[in-house]
Formats: sequence, structure tokens, C-alpha cells
Amino acid sequence: MIADRRSPPLTQDGAAQLQVAGITKWYGKQRALADVSFDIRRGEILGLIGPNGSGKTTLLETVAGLLPINAGSVLWQRSSLPQHRRCEVVFYLPDGVRPWDGQHVIRVLQFFASTFGRRAAELDEVARSVGLQQVFGKRVCALSKGYTRRLMLALALLTPHPVLLMDEPFDGFDIRQTREMMALMRRVAAHGRTLALAIHQLADAERVCDRFILLADGRVCGIGSLDDLRARISQPTARLEDVFLALT
Amino acid sequence: MRSPDVTTVRRTPLRPLLAKEVAGLLNGRALWTMLLILCPLVGYSFFQAVALYGEASAAARDQPQLATSLSPLDGILVPTFGAFYVTATLLFPFVAIRALGHEKETGSLKLLVQLPYQIPTLIAAKLTAISFAWLIAVTPVVSALPLWLSFGGHIDPLETSNLLLGHLLYGLLIGTIALFAAAISDNSATAAIVTLAFTIGSWVLDFALAGQPGALGWISRLSLTQALHTFEQGVLSAALLLGTCTAIVGFATLAAIWLHPGTSLHKKLARTIVCVGLAGLLLATTTQLRTSSDLSEDKRNSFPAADQRTLARLNEPLIVTVHLAPEDPRYVDLQRNVLSKLERVVPNLTIRLVTAGQSVIRSAGEVSYGEIEYSYGGHSAKSRSTSHREALPLLYGLAGVAVPTPQAGEDYPGYPLVADGWIALPWFLVALPLLIAVAWWWWNRHAPRIPAQFVKNGGQL
Repeated sequence: MIADRRSPPLTQDGAAQLQVAGITKWYGKQRALADVSFDIRRGEILGLIGPNGSGKTTLLETVAGLLPINAGSVLWQRSSLPQHRRCEVVFYLPDGVRPWDGQHVIRVLQFFASTFGRRAAELDEVARSVGLQQVFGKRVCALSKGYTRRLMLALALLTPHPVLLMDEPFDGFDIRQTREMMALMRRVAAHGRTLALAIHQLADAERVCDRFILLADGRVCGIGSLDDLRARISQPTARLEDVFLALT
Repeated sequence: MRSPDVTTVRRTPLRPLLAKEVAGLLNGRALWTMLLILCPLVGYSFFQAVALYGEASAAARDQPQLATSLSPLDGILVPTFGAFYVTATLLFPFVAIRALGHEKETGSLKLLVQLPYQIPTLIAAKLTAISFAWLIAVTPVVSALPLWLSFGGHIDPLETSNLLLGHLLYGLLIGTIALFAAAISDNSATAAIVTLAFTIGSWVLDFALAGQPGALGWISRLSLTQALHTFEQGVLSAALLLGTCTAIVGFATLAAIWLHPGTSLHKKLARTIVCVGLAGLLLATTTQLRTSSDLSEDKRNSFPAADQRTLARLNEPLIVTVHLAPEDPRYVDLQRNVLSKLERVVPNLTIRLVTAGQSVIRSAGEVSYGEIEYSYGGHSAKSRSTSHREALPLLYGLAGVAVPTPQAGEDYPGYPLVADGWIALPWFLVALPLLIAVAWWWWNRHAPRIPAQFVKNGGQL
């Protein structure tokens, strides 16, 4: 996996790298997030789990600095990370986006590669890792949902940011493709990058994530590894689905 | 704080961003459609202008003195560019809105604002792409210039460049308004409505408020179309130039303020108030500037050359006190025939409008209403004429200088030409649209060159 030449200094494994402290978000009179706090550790894959409307996307966008918040803060290595500097640390991949859909795939990839100073060999490596080479000459608007997902993932891998936030990264993939992408994410995390994934498919989340944040109605109902969460409900063999239902 | 190295952010190359922005505009249909619509509009305007100019020129054969009034600026350029003006007002906003609106609609903006570019850089790149689109859009109308020359017509480079500058500034102003509208709107349709509210609202201002006294008259001068009229008359005004540039930068700044989705509404509103306040101050300052140049070849905005030379030597303060309401047609005549010309040539001029803010009805009963008083070197004289033929001898009398005599060869000769405009129609109605359609087809069909190493390393291309 390509090196993060421009990445900020990383913390030691296991230490909190990014901390989210008491984020609250209101849409008019509707509260979307209520005092949400958690931390993300270097090299882990964190799963944001929750039903539709639970606040997963809102949470990712507030952490990425793409939505203003009513209260709370984000800390990078224990120092405040103001909204306008989040994009130096965190890169967020939104769901349902066809990036610059009138352009050819190779052009979009080259745009990101040039912007972040990636060499052609690095671009090639990323494109091969997500299986995009077959569609280099196609326009983004002509891509299938799966290939659009691959393109988005490739764009994220071309960035040097130490923390990647992804909204429904497996949406549009079949089982085989999902497993391929999970393996890729594992390799990315093994190289020291941190991933936070908003997933509503609990089976997928259980396979790929190290720790989970259970969200319901904008509130955190549980944080921890699957074993931690099982211990909370005293069901040592429970599936993530059972844990989620018990805690939310 | 162990934060990311922001120095790398500052070194981010601009070329990929600019290439993306330009490609984004070329990928859309709006620019190509505008070009195709422009061709017949410009072609017909040019054809009509050549025909009317030819009729006037034919009359000048019998009466040579009529030839001096035949200027290609009025007869050919302004009418031909008029078609471009209508298109720029009504269609160019759709081209400019795409530069931002499409990214908002597809969600790509969320990716863009996370890239290591400052928000003003993003807006500057979009404005550069819009300028490039304007350059492409102006091609049909510019193609009329070599056609006119091929007919044997005359073009003055200075006044033509001034006219082009006016249209460029107008296009950029429309472009930045469109960017701002796209930044504050959720979708392109709303942005188009907001932009057209500005542009068509300008027409309404022109029709409804022009010539009104007081605040209404001041508001009417904010009309976008008023800015273009000065350039069409061959005048390059510092106040207008800087004022338009201020408005362009102001709207671009507003677009930058409203672009980032992560900025809270109250911050955006506060910054907007500061921006509007600063822009208003700058606009108020620029309107005080009196520097302007008459770039028209026939010097329609200046006195005769001999008078210009004499007036330029009047170094003492000249005070002109005008007892006319601003909306009075006589004041408009005086402004056009005397005052604006004096402003450009007399080094030390003060104009006082005694009835400023009053209506014709309220002022007309006064005995002094209609008087224009000229004071120079401790002497003064009054006149009710709005013509320079009466005003200038008065001035020369006050200054104690002889009335200058015109020298032979200084008069504008005029450029009469009877040409057959039909020859231009195949170019504008067939050849140029065909070229544009082919360029559009080529742009959409051609695939980018895939770098060789991607193919060698296992790509199946």
C-alpha cells in the first residue's frame, strides 16, 4: 500500500489518535446528535453501526468538518482540531456521490494524484488494488454502482490523510467484491491508516471492524469490540445483530 | 500541537484544478448550446448592421458631410455585440452556474472542499474557467470582425478593444453573480432564478427608475447594463472600471463565504455583512473618481481637437453651477454635451448641482432654474444653453483666451461602406455552427490517453 508521504506524525498503536468530544447537532428543532463522544485509534477499523436516521452520516460529516456543529469538539492527538483544519487530517468519502461524473475515470484519478503529489506508479498501484483499470477510459457517469464505489475508494487511497471516514463503503458490492474490499481495508489499516466506516449491514461490519460504536436516535448506545459489547449484555456468543438489538 | 504540515498544502499545484474546472464546463451542454444559439443571433445582427450601414453609406455618396457621422463602432460593432450581450445576460449564467452547481448537485463539492486548496483558490479557479468559457463564447461575435474587414470595412483597434473589455467585465460580473447564486442555492434551477433576478432586474431598473430623482436615480445607476453603455460609447472610465472590478471581486468573495458546507449560518451572515459593507465603501469611493478617457476614434465624447488643446491649458479652478434637476432632459443634454467632456479635459473642475435631490416640478418655479453659471479666474458668466457651441466661447471669454480655430485634417473622416451582408450568413448559419458541433462531438467522443505504464502493468485497455 502506498506510503503516506505527507501524513502527519502518527501516534503509537492503541493510543487515541482522534477524539470526538460531546458533539451535538441540531437540524432546526430536531436533534440529530446528542453529546456524542468516542475516540479512534491508529490503525483500527471503527464501525459506526445504526439504523437509517440514527445519525451515522451526520456524525461523519461533522467530524470531517463538512457540517457545522452546535456543541462539542474534535481533538487530534489531544489538541483541538478546528473545523477548517479537519481536512488536513481526515478525509471523508460520502455515500451516493458520482465524483465529477462528466469526466473520464483516469482524469479524476489523475486529478487527485496530481493534487496530492502522487507518482504515476502510486496511482497505478491504487487502481490495481481496487480493480479500476478496466474502466480507465470510461466516463464516471457510465460506471456501475460497484465501480463508482471502487473509484471513490481509490480516491481515498490516493489521499495522504491518516484518518479515512467512509459512508456505506460496501453499498453496491456483491459478496465477493465486499470481501475483496474488506481485505483491502485490512491491508490499509495494517499500514497505519485509520478507518471509520458507517455501515448498516451488521454482518459486513462484524467481519471487518475492530471496534463498534452503536448509534440510535443520535445517541451512543455502546462502544467497544464485539467481545466488550457481548460482555455488556452477558451473551458471550451473541452476534453483532443481537448485541445491537439488546443495547439500542 | 502536532498537526499536519500545512506547508505541503500551500504547494498544491493549481494546474490539475484548473484543468478539472475547464473540463467540467466543456463537458456540460450549456456552453455548446449557447454557442450554437449565438451563431444565428450574431449572424443576423451583423447582417442587419451591414445592411443598415450600407444604406446610410449610400446616402453619404450624395452628401459627403454625412460620411463623418458613419462610425463602424455605432454602425457595426455595437449592434453585433448587442446579440452577444443578450445571450450573455440570459444564457451565460447557465454556463457559469454549472461550474459550481453541478458539483453541489452530485455531491462532488464535498470532496472538493476537502482537497488541500484554500476556498478562495477554488473560487478563483472556477472564475478562471468561467473566463475561459467567455473567451470561447465570444468567438462567434469576434469572427464578425475579420468578415467586416474582408468587406473593406474599417475597425479602430482602440475603441474595439475598449468594447471587448466592457463585454469581458460584464461577462465576469454575470459569472461571479452566478457563482454566488450557485453557492447559496441547493440546486442549479434556484441558482438560475437568483442570477436572472439580478440580470433581468437590471433591465427593470433601467426601464423603471432611470432619470428618477434622488435615491431612485442612484439605484438605477446600479444597473448592470448601464456599465456596458459607457464602453459602447468609447469611454474608458476609471470609476466604472474599478467599480465593476469591485463588484466582481465582491460577488466572488460572497461565493467563497457561502461555499463551504461546514461553516455555520451565522458566520456566513456575519462575513457577508462585512463583505457587503467593504464593497459598498469601495464602490462609493470609486464613484468619486473622475478620470476617464475617450477612446472613440471620432472623439464623440470630446470637444473638437482645437478646443481640447485650449481647455487643457486652463489651470485655474473652473466651477460650473447647474440649476437643473437631474431628471430634466436639459441636464442630460448638458451632461453629455458639455460637463462630461469638460471633466475629461479641464484639469481643475468642480461641478455643483444646486437642485440635486429635488424634482423638476419643485424646482421649475425658481427664477434661476435652468441657469448654468461658469466661474473662472474671479469672473463668472451665465447661460441656459446645453450646447458646447455656446458654453465654450463663454469659457474662453472668462479665461481671456482666443477662440481656437480648427485645423484642417483633424475632423473624423467617417468610414462609409456599402457591402453585401448576405456573404456573412453562410458562415454564421452553416459553417460556424457546423464547426462548433464537430468540436462538441470530438470533445465528447475522444477518450483520454492512458499513460503507457498503466497498460504495461497489467491493464486490460
